[in-house]
Amino acid sequence: MEVLREKVEEEEAAEREEAAERAERMEKTRPVEVQKEETILTQEMLRDLEKKLSEIKIPIPAGTPVITEDTIDVSNLPLSYKTNTPKEEHLLQVADNFSRQYSHLCPDRVPLFLHPLNECEVPKFVSTTIRPTLMPYPDLYNWDGCANFVSDFLTKVPLPDPLKPPSHLYSSTTVLKQQKGNCFDFSTLLCSMLLGAGYDAYCVNGYGSQALCNMDLTREVCPLTVKPKETVKTKEKAQPKKYTIKPPRDLTSRFEQQQEIKKQKEAKAQKEKQQREEEERLLEAEKAKPDPLHGLRVHCWVLVLSGKREVPESFFIDPFTGRSYSSQDDHFLGIESLWNHRNYWINMQDCWNCCKDLVFDLGDPVRWEYMLLGTDKPQLSLMEEEDEGLNDDDDIEDLGKETEDKSFDMPSSWVEQITISPEAFETRCPNGKKVLQYRRARLEKWAPYLNSNGLVCRLTTYEDLECTKILEVKEWYQNREDTLELKHINNSSGLHTDYFRPGHPQALRVHVYKTMQPENDRIMEFYETARVDGLIKREETPRTMTEYYQGRPDFLSYRHINFGPRVKKLTSASTESNPRPMTKITERFSRNPAKPADEDVAERVFLIADERIQLRYHCRDDYITASKREFLQRSEVDSKGNKIIMTSDMCISFEVEPMEHTKKLLYQYETMMHLKNEEKLSKHQAWESELEVLEILKLREEEEEAHTLNISIYDTKRNEKSKEYREAMERVMHEEHLRQVEAQLDYLAPFLAQLPPGEKLTRMQAVHLKDECLSDFKQRLIDKANLIQARFEKENQELQKQQQWYQENQVTLTPEDEDLYLSYCSQAMFRIRILEQRLNRHKELAPLKYLALEEKLYKDPRLAEFLKVLA
Amino acid sequence: MLSSGKMNRIYDSVEPRVIDDDMLKLAVGEQGPQEEAGQLAKQEGILFKDVLSLQLDFQNILRIDNLWQFESLQKLQLDNNIIERIEGLENLTQLVWLDLSFNNIKVIEGLDTLVNLEDLSLFNNRISKIDSLDTLVKLQVLSLGNNQIDNMMNIIYLRQFKCLRTLSLSGNPITQAEDYKMFICAHLPDLMYLDFRRIDDHMKDLAEMKYQYTIDELKHREHLRQAQLQEEQAQIMKLEEYKMAFVENLNGSFLFDSMYAEDMEGNKLSCLPIVGELLEVYKDKFVIICLNIFEYGLKQHEKRKLELDTFTECVQEAIQENQEQGKLRIARFEEKHLLNLSAIREESELLAIEKKIVECSEDITELFNVLMTLELQLVEQLEETINMFERNITDMVGLFIENVQSLMAQCRELENHHHEKLLEISIGTLEKIIKGELDEELPDDVRTFFADKDTIVNAVGASHDMHLLKIDNREDELVTRINSWCTHLVDKIHKDEVMRNRKRVKEINQYIDHLQSELDNLECGDMD
Repeated sequence: MEVLREKVEEEEAAEREEAAERAERMEKTRPVEVQKEETILTQEMLRDLEKKLSEIKIPIPAGTPVITEDTIDVSNLPLSYKTNTPKEEHLLQVADNFSRQYSHLCPDRVPLFLHPLNECEVPKFVSTTIRPTLMPYPDLYNWDGCANFVSDFLTKVPLPDPLKPPSHLYSSTTVLKQQKGNCFDFSTLLCSMLLGAGYDAYCVNGYGSQALCNMDLTREVCPLTVKPKETVKTKEKAQPKKYTIKPPRDLTSRFEQQQEIKKQKEAKAQKEKQQREEEERLLEAEKAKPDPLHGLRVHCWVLVLSGKREVPESFFIDPFTGRSYSSQDDHFLGIESLWNHRNYWINMQDCWNCCKDLVFDLGDPVRWEYMLLGTDKPQLSLMEEEDEGLNDDDDIEDLGKETEDKSFDMPSSWVEQITISPEAFETRCPNGKKVLQYRRARLEKWAPYLNSNGLVCRLTTYEDLECTKILEVKEWYQNREDTLELKHINNSSGLHTDYFRPGHPQALRVHVYKTMQPENDRIMEFYETARVDGLIKREETPRTMTEYYQGRPDFLSYRHINFGPRVKKLTSASTESNPRPMTKITERFSRNPAKPADEDVAERVFLIADERIQLRYHCRDDYITASKREFLQRSEVDSKGNKIIMTSDMCISFEVEPMEHTKKLLYQYETMMHLKNEEKLSKHQAWESELEVLEILKLREEEEEAHTLNISIYDTKRNEKSKEYREAMERVMHEEHLRQVEAQLDYLAPFLAQLPPGEKLTRMQAVHLKDECLSDFKQRLIDKANLIQARFEKENQELQKQQQWYQENQVTLTPEDEDLYLSYCSQAMFRIRILEQRLNRHKELAPLKYLALEEKLYKDPRLAEFLKVLA
Repeated sequence: MLSSGKMNRIYDSVEPRVIDDDMLKLAVGEQGPQEEAGQLAKQEGILFKDVLSLQLDFQNILRIDNLWQFESLQKLQLDNNIIERIEGLENLTQLVWLDLSFNNIKVIEGLDTLVNLEDLSLFNNRISKIDSLDTLVKLQVLSLGNNQIDNMMNIIYLRQFKCLRTLSLSGNPITQAEDYKMFICAHLPDLMYLDFRRIDDHMKDLAEMKYQYTIDELKHREHLRQAQLQEEQAQIMKLEEYKMAFVENLNGSFLFDSMYAEDMEGNKLSCLPIVGELLEVYKDKFVIICLNIFEYGLKQHEKRKLELDTFTECVQEAIQENQEQGKLRIARFEEKHLLNLSAIREESELLAIEKKIVECSEDITELFNVLMTLELQLVEQLEETINMFERNITDMVGLFIENVQSLMAQCRELENHHHEKLLEISIGTLEKIIKGELDEELPDDVRTFFADKDTIVNAVGASHDMHLLKIDNREDELVTRINSWCTHLVDKIHKDEVMRNRKRVKEINQYIDHLQSELDNLECGDMD
């Protein structure tokens, strides 16, 4: 600032003389620059542009406000919106001065964006429009949460003139209320939130690409479709240890190998080349037409500098999309100025190579010209000394002003505290819905609970650029009672994949299927810890079922069942009563460390059709072969007709280490009996698995139909049950209150009022009061009885009249009239009966009530002492 | 006691018996498998060593005998007999459950080898002291009701059984004590059931409060004992480790002290003037060298260990990989082989069958060749590695010996130096004595050395020789031991490798034979 001023003052005299010249110079320099960028422009257009540019003298941008057309209710806005405090006025003066000097020093640059008008048409300095606020939502504590929220919450409005900064910059509170804004509004809001969260954030006024300014994502790859890069595990080749054995000598021909490798390489290169060409062709097709206004489109975004909140590297955030870009990105074409809530900096660096060469060291006054002194940025002050001698006399004049400037702080923000209501925060997008179009993808977002099936996000990916052929659909759900989280439909393979959160009644995790019909290709994965049987996965094909287990006490890890064709029964039976016959069950077990290896079965196969059982045991630690045993279950009869229980040829076994006791028939017999039992159990379990599949499918169908949503017990707004409960409680409270009021009703009040106030009651008065009260009550009771009596009589008379009329006109009556009469009669009778009942009841209760009042009066503290004496 | 007396009287009429073979056979037969399995068992006979549980109650047995064959017995019931001594159970190490209730046992004994015992019943006997159970660390249930235990101190003995949950002592004189229950609850806090009743927490708390001080003291004592034991253990471990490094007792003045332990002359001469100081200096220097040897030895030991570990690791890795390959080959072969076999079974034409069988046996031969090649390859590789290791370890040992010897030489040099100085002083003293200039009085036995020059020279020489001998001995011991360790190690490695190779070859052969015979059987079956 000082540097600038000194320079300016030095030149001030010359400036006046050169006033005319300057205009010329501007005209000269401008076209040259423009020509550099846009050689296509015709001469006429150039002149036009020159004219337009030369018109701009004062840095207050004048343009037709667009948003103001929508009625903004200015009346309710606080005073700080409508007026400027003296400090702000002073700031505006400083800014104007600064701007003048700037336009003088850098005549070839566009005017600064310093103090646009706010919604009340009051000029406000941009830095004071930023109101650092920390949001009370944990989601908004990090920059990505904030950026996504801003991009979702606001609807984009294009700048009135894409080549100029807007004339108005509204407060963030208004923007939030309207839920729409241009890039400056977006950035200001986002910057406020980021500063509040502790980031070193700045609003940047600069130039962006067409896609960036128009929020055109059709050339961008949807971030959701990008698969996370598989971190290629570079298997660290263990350093060959000292005694690592040498590999056996390789006896193949080196030459042949080389030739082979060469051939493969060539083929690969060929393939890659083709692929690359293909890609290039595609890219060419997708490339946008060159933008005639490239580099001139004004955009505003947010810069986050490294340092605070453990940000390792400075980066940009585009407020429209909420995405972060590196500060080298091609979309950002130049920076004019940037500001935060403390200060304003002008970029003095050349932007010929977009933003790639910019250095964001704001303390360097050569690169960044600051407006206010006394910021927290480190300062370089080398130039001052040079100019000192020349400006001696001017110094004295400006001394007062300068010292004032030096100590001048940015006034606090005029904007009200930014608040986002929980409802608005949850709804996020305007009307709770947002659609984004990406390259070959379309993303739709909804607020939770907006869709009755809990759908919150849908991503549709297409095969072609025009988005006609659907490739796959991904739907995200929230708050569903069946814990469905993501549904993935692959159009090409027809596979549906449902992903579930933990908590499904059947502990389902993933369900892959083509149809919901049972006995088809299907994969179900489970949360195995939530299941008693430790099932991880069950795969089905029409003829087989494979189950994978983990963590079972019997060490079962795998079961594979082959089914034979279903035997047709004569009686038409349902699937449950006619299960498919099993032909083979294979079970595998993991090693049970408590048993020796050759007693621990690794695999057992029940060949049900062949009546055979095969066992394979685990391999011992230092062996390569495993014991095997095969049982034939044939019940034969020997020559004498006795049943053969067990013969040695019924069990064929191979033992790695032959043992004595296993040779015994008894052992074999017992093993076989045991296995027979196990076979039965396995069969039963397989059958149960089938049943479970049916059950799950049924459950899934029901869930799909019902799609009830879960409501947290803490969600007081949506939770109907708690609402009802609360309302009931309130009602009870209200009634209680009424009753209390009634109880406090003072019977004596009207009578006491007749007496002179402030005097103590005498005994006589008290007795009199009591009698009066009682007689009054008696009168009331009688009046009431009379009233009921009168009504009763009236009804009776009416009825009699009607009856009379009916009897007279009975012959001439139409059926409708007759009906009318009859209905009247019944109603009248009902009324009479009720009145009669009420009268009787009143008669019954009246004395009691009278006594009750008397009792009460005796007990009344005001009368009690007198009446007691009386009694 | 009354009831047991009655019981025993019934059997008094029958002659007391000793467990013999017939009785055992009968019991095993009766209690063995039933029905179909029983038939098979009868057919084959049951070996005593396979029996898991045996019941010998109400047999009027007086003496336990002949049970040594029941190696895998887990449950033995000998209740309701007239046994007087626990004996003959030494071999039943797998026993978990032992019932000796309703006998006439007076002393607990002969149970030391039954380390797996969890449930022991000695109900209704004549035992007066709980004893000799120290080795039964897994004991969970102990039934000692209806005995003659009368001293509370028996309870404290039971504190060492950490797994004990159930105890019954009802019917003992001890139960008459006023605070019998409280005492037990306090002293056996892990106990869950006492005399067939669950101990409630309230009771436990009360007991704990009541006996807090005694228990704390007990605990403290136990703790101390434990700590002492641990320390001793640690010391022994350390010494063992140093021994492994062959430098035990070199981390101090042990060697120096041993040099002077039997050296009469040296000790006597040390009371000469200046010699005392000289000796101090000498000792310091000597000890420093010893410490050097010690540290060097430990370092070398670490190095050797590391070398050996690397070697075993590498060898294990190689073997593991080889095994994996072998398993893979076998799995692949079996897959194919199974298909082939079932194909043969289904084939009806004789010619085709024969052709396929030939194919199969070719496959088997190929498998054999592959497996054997793998094995041979491994043998070759391992041999090379082992030889390399042998070279390295021998070199290492050689270097170690060399360095230790040089350090020992330093010791000797010190000794020589000391010897010279001592000699000088002695002769000086002798001259002084001869001249009668000696100021101090010398003890008489020392004075005898200074009779003449030969005597003193001899005395000093003898001391010197003794010292050198000690040093030499220590050095020799170290060298011999490390050399023998090295040879043993290398021998063992070679032997292990040979064993491994033999085992693997045998395994492969066995497997191939099995396959071949299976195929042959199939052939025969088809021929029929």
